[in-house]
Amino acid sequence: MALLVDRHRPRSLDTLSYHHDLSARLRSLAQSHDFPHLLMYGPSGAGKKTRTIATLKELYGPGVEKIKIDNRVFQTTSNRKLEFNIVSSVYHLEITPSDVGTYDRVVVQELLKEIAQTQQVDLSAKQRFKVVVINEADHLTRDAQAALRRTMEKYSPNLRLILLANSTSNIIAPIRSRTLLVRVAAPSEEEICTILGASAKRENWSVAPGLNKRIAKESGRNLRRALLMFEAIYAQSEKVSDSTPIPPPDWEALISVVAKEILEERSPARLLQVRARLYDLLTHCIPATTILKTLTFKLIVNVDDTLKPEVIKWSAFYEHRITQGSKVIFHLEAFVAKFMRIYESYLMGMDF
Amino acid sequence: MPADIRSFFGGKSSQGSATSPTKPSAKKETPARSKRSRKVVDDSDDDDDVVVTKASAPKTKAPSKAKPEVPEGEPTTTSDYFASSKKRGRPPKSDNTDKDAKSSSSTATRAESPKASKKSTERKNTTDAESRRGAKRASALLDDEKQGDDDIFATEYGKSGKWDDDYKEEENDDDSDDFDLSVKPASGARGRPASKKRSAFDEDDEDVVMEDVPHRPASAAKSATSQTQRKRKSEAVDKDDDEFEVTKKKAGAGGKSKKPRASTAKKDQPESKEIQDIFDSIPTIKAPSPPPPPDPDAKPSKFVFGGGKSRDPVSGSADIPVGAENCLAGLTFVFTGVLDTLGREEGQSLVKRYGGKVTTAPSGKTNFVVLGSDAGPAKLNTIAKHNLKTISEEGLFELIRRLPANGGDGKAAEKYEAKKKEDEEKVQEMAAEIDAEEKRKAEQKRKESKSSQMTKVSNDSKATNVDDLLWTSKYAPTSLNMICGNKGAVEKLSSWLKNWRKSAQANFKKAGKDGSGIYRSVMIHGPPGIGKTTAAHLVAKLEGYDVVESNASDTRSKKLVETGLLGVLDTTSLQGYFSTSDKKVDSGKKNLVLIMDEVDGMSAGDRGGVGAMAAIAKKTQIPLILICNERRLPKMKPFDSVTFEIPFRRPTVEQVRARLLTICFREKMKIPPQVLDSLIEGTHADIRQVINMLSAVRLDQNEQPGQALDYDKGKQMSKAWEKHIILKPWDIVGKILSPQMFSQASSATLNDKSELYFNDHEFSYLMLQENYLRTKPARANNYEGKEHKLKLLELADNAASSISDGDLVDRMIHGSQQQWSLMPTHAMFSFVRPASYMYGNMMERPAFTSWLGQNSKQGKLSRYVKEIQGRMRLRASGDRHEIRQQYIPLLWDKLVSRLMVDGKDGVEDVIDFMDSYFLTREDWDALVELGLGPMDESKVKLETQTKASFTRLYNQRSHPLPYMKASNVLAPKKAPKEKPDIEDAIDESDDDEVLADESKDDEENDEIDLKKDKLIRVPKKSAAKKGSAKSSTSAKGKGKSKKANEDDFIDDEDDAPKPKKARGRKPKA
Repeated sequence: MALLVDRHRPRSLDTLSYHHDLSARLRSLAQSHDFPHLLMYGPSGAGKKTRTIATLKELYGPGVEKIKIDNRVFQTTSNRKLEFNIVSSVYHLEITPSDVGTYDRVVVQELLKEIAQTQQVDLSAKQRFKVVVINEADHLTRDAQAALRRTMEKYSPNLRLILLANSTSNIIAPIRSRTLLVRVAAPSEEEICTILGASAKRENWSVAPGLNKRIAKESGRNLRRALLMFEAIYAQSEKVSDSTPIPPPDWEALISVVAKEILEERSPARLLQVRARLYDLLTHCIPATTILKTLTFKLIVNVDDTLKPEVIKWSAFYEHRITQGSKVIFHLEAFVAKFMRIYESYLMGMDF
Repeated sequence: MPADIRSFFGGKSSQGSATSPTKPSAKKETPARSKRSRKVVDDSDDDDDVVVTKASAPKTKAPSKAKPEVPEGEPTTTSDYFASSKKRGRPPKSDNTDKDAKSSSSTATRAESPKASKKSTERKNTTDAESRRGAKRASALLDDEKQGDDDIFATEYGKSGKWDDDYKEEENDDDSDDFDLSVKPASGARGRPASKKRSAFDEDDEDVVMEDVPHRPASAAKSATSQTQRKRKSEAVDKDDDEFEVTKKKAGAGGKSKKPRASTAKKDQPESKEIQDIFDSIPTIKAPSPPPPPDPDAKPSKFVFGGGKSRDPVSGSADIPVGAENCLAGLTFVFTGVLDTLGREEGQSLVKRYGGKVTTAPSGKTNFVVLGSDAGPAKLNTIAKHNLKTISEEGLFELIRRLPANGGDGKAAEKYEAKKKEDEEKVQEMAAEIDAEEKRKAEQKRKESKSSQMTKVSNDSKATNVDDLLWTSKYAPTSLNMICGNKGAVEKLSSWLKNWRKSAQANFKKAGKDGSGIYRSVMIHGPPGIGKTTAAHLVAKLEGYDVVESNASDTRSKKLVETGLLGVLDTTSLQGYFSTSDKKVDSGKKNLVLIMDEVDGMSAGDRGGVGAMAAIAKKTQIPLILICNERRLPKMKPFDSVTFEIPFRRPTVEQVRARLLTICFREKMKIPPQVLDSLIEGTHADIRQVINMLSAVRLDQNEQPGQALDYDKGKQMSKAWEKHIILKPWDIVGKILSPQMFSQASSATLNDKSELYFNDHEFSYLMLQENYLRTKPARANNYEGKEHKLKLLELADNAASSISDGDLVDRMIHGSQQQWSLMPTHAMFSFVRPASYMYGNMMERPAFTSWLGQNSKQGKLSRYVKEIQGRMRLRASGDRHEIRQQYIPLLWDKLVSRLMVDGKDGVEDVIDFMDSYFLTREDWDALVELGLGPMDESKVKLETQTKASFTRLYNQRSHPLPYMKASNVLAPKKAPKEKPDIEDAIDESDDDEVLADESKDDEENDEIDLKKDKLIRVPKKSAAKKGSAKSSTSAKGKGKSKKANEDDFIDDEDDAPKPKKARGRKPKA
């Protein structure tokens, strides 16, 4: 009953449907006796996790698919209790240190040491080491990354790390040099179309190639997103044709509303309204950078070409500030104010 | 206005005088006064034509006389206009005198100042006292006959009538016409001379004369030759002539002219009322022109400009006039809008300095409204409603300059005088009372000392020396009616104490009249220095109770309160039983009252004191009076509903003033009431502080006699003694965004502005961010239409980007760097700078910052997302953001909208689906809450039946569980007795402690077990077993056991949740 995207997830390297050469390399790595630390990076929805699990299966056999979740409590030096989820099988462990925010160092230090200092219990295991998969490695704080580096060398007999990240830019150089970088590129639109077609066939749904193409385009080459959209469309409409509209996710719909409001009227009072909407988005856990990016692209379609560079410039400017500052709403608001001013003065044909 | 006049004069300009000549001549003539005349010219720039016409018209007409009334009237008016504008600052006499000398032949330059008229009347009527009245009457009559002009005109009229009736008539007509046209300046000018006359400014006159002397010959000649010319020339010439005349008059009439003046001065007092009326009316007329409610802003400002006075000489606040002492006595002012040169505070203190009263909202009693730009619409409405006189800043200055000391004999001043007298009488009365009291005491003491001479009670005599006492105790009230303010509260206290015995007999069951009967104790609370302690002591004394007092100087911990007070609570006073030889034993005097002062001063050292106090307050056997400043503090909570609350409020200025005047009187200090008022205001009616200040002043005066305390010094002093009040966030933002803060006239420095931020550095900038878009920015006021719109956006953008800058600084302060020294920088970027762009009137009340609420909501929702993601993790691979952004829209579709569409039929499917992702019922609710926009929570409409059956079905079924909550798992960790849990194990470094903790752990375990029971039954047992097993190992090597323990724990985990899918979970309640 699960969703398409989870039901049709390939479980082994063989069944992966694209990047075959990458699959082959991973297979040969897994079969060698010298499995390195890996840093898999690529945009979300490209299949990093799926590929990782498949690699693990290649390493240990089907045992890795029996996973469970542990809920652990860590205590920081300031006596704060941190709840932390660990997904694990007998052979591997999967953690998301960024769940505990700035305390990720504590988790990394305690947990990794604890695991690394014990040997593989299962004597029949194919490998002597355990694998720790670290999700969102690019969100690790500097401290946590620094804590990782020595662990990686010292405990290498017992432990292999697979870091998953969206980009390597936030990962410190010492870590990068200790890992094998594996880039998982986003699937091309054709690949997505094929996958969608295959899924539809497995579900006995009618196939609409035009629609698939549109989904692939709309999803921004994010396969997860494409599949979820695909399912949403089929869930909502009985008859699917090439022209069936693709419903946007709730937050995107709201951002379009914001963009429309901004373009409609530019005034401090409107800015206040927009602020309320932005607060809404933020409280509902939409990251500020996502909001800013989406909003920018929604605005840009509707402004004159001469304004575009300016808008993009300020968008980038404030996106940078969002990561630098602490109260993101201030920067979002400043961007909106800036846009209103630019747009208004453009419309009036004067410079201020 | 100008337009009107112009049209009015249209005919005249045709008549001819050359426009060009007039103007230059004016300029030429006025070199000496270039500035003033300049202004006039400037002003009239738009009206050039008018000016010309005016000047020329009189010329031609004068000879021809009255017939063409309209034209003639015009000339007069214009000249009036000029004169007024030009002469504002000047003494009015010049104009007047002009008339005297020339009136017959002269074109009757309109503006016959009242003064002149007066003089003339005086001359004629030998009875000085009657003269004015007579004039007035005459004028009134004339008015009736003619057009019913205003008083001023009437007076003029009357006076002029004496000289040359026809002529006057014309004049009068003209004047009235002008007036109708609402020539503000004219009216202002008139008012001015009148008031000046009032004050009999001999000095001024003389000065002017001196100045003008050199001009005399020329002007005289001119006047002799042709008046027309004179007229044409600018007013300066006129003036010269006038002056000349004056001097002449003076010289000629010599004794006469002086006499009337002197007499008027004298008259002022006795004559008072009628003349006051005139006086009052004069400023009135001048004032009203600007107000019309619809768009008052434009007019006054124009007027000021036309008046010409303000701009040139302004140069900041330099030209604030010096007036006679107390000249605004009895007048009530309201300030509204932003003034040109004065800050509002300054203006208000200016009015107060001269004895005027300032209120914040206009009402029927308001005498003048000082109007600046941007006045609030509400105020304007009231002004219109009550038809109040509005004046500009200039007008205020004029008032101050003109009005004689003590407000002359105006009505208001008279009232004021009467009141003052009354006050004085009261003061003397009170002083006498105190005197008597003191005498009585002294008497008593003498007696006592006599009797005790043998017993050598020397210290008594020492104590009696009243002068040694602090003033605060020396002048402490000795009877209830001497307490300033809070009469009701004191009465309540008194009646409570009086009835205490009775209530005690009723076992505190009868509430009594004011509900105080059920309380054994009272709590008096209020700000410091308003007489709480004094009142308590006094009431106790008057009710015949002996006082036991305890205050912050005693330690009042729980123990001490309990033991120390026990002795007091159940006893009676013995004071009555013992006495000195000659005093009777007063056996009735056995009542005790316990006064606990400064209850909120029970601090960390007084642990449990408050609680103990509250307990005692509930069952005390003697009356208990508790006193504190802050009742609202959380630590004062135990007293809730235990005590009878009597709030004390700050007394009003009036209430305090009388008392202070008494003290001053007794101490033979001369302090003007308005100085006292400022002291009282400055201390927020803290009587004790004011008395101490007076005491200090007294000491100063002893050392440097002759240094009286004047208004400025008083201000300074109260400023120096000022108690700093921390502003509330709302007030902070209201202040920083107020137009006054950044107006040119504002005296607030950058430092003052950033000081506001530090009133509450955590909130101030958030409040500003919340509210900066809700103002009407003053900076955009000068723009219109589209530009205005763009300007607004520009300002908003600047402010927003400054706030954004501020956030970066904030990060440096609160982030890992902790650079607190950057706070002033943060204040600038996030607070002062944005406000400097967006200041202006607030369009609505400042709202509280929404950031805090939104932030905590975000925290809550992100916990939901985390939880959902945690549960789905076994199935879905995405991180939190992916789950929120991609999965949740679809999940919402499948779970929420399915139920909305299909109703009960969908329930089974929904639950199946939820189970497949390990989602719980709570997650379903969270999902609803997480919806946005089209999926907003408010749009989720579920039939109650569907929801009920959903809940019921969900609870009936068993569901797979991906993992156990950590709190559940805690038990196995605790079970091993030596190692309470992993965290502890990690923390503990020495073994001894662990052993010591064992017993405690046991207790804890018991509690926890109860809690966990439901879910943990099985794992707990096994864990316990393991724990015991472990304990043996751990005894051997603690260091290792730590790790081992953890491993075990993990193993435990494996045992417990592994069969999760198969295992049914107990239905959750």
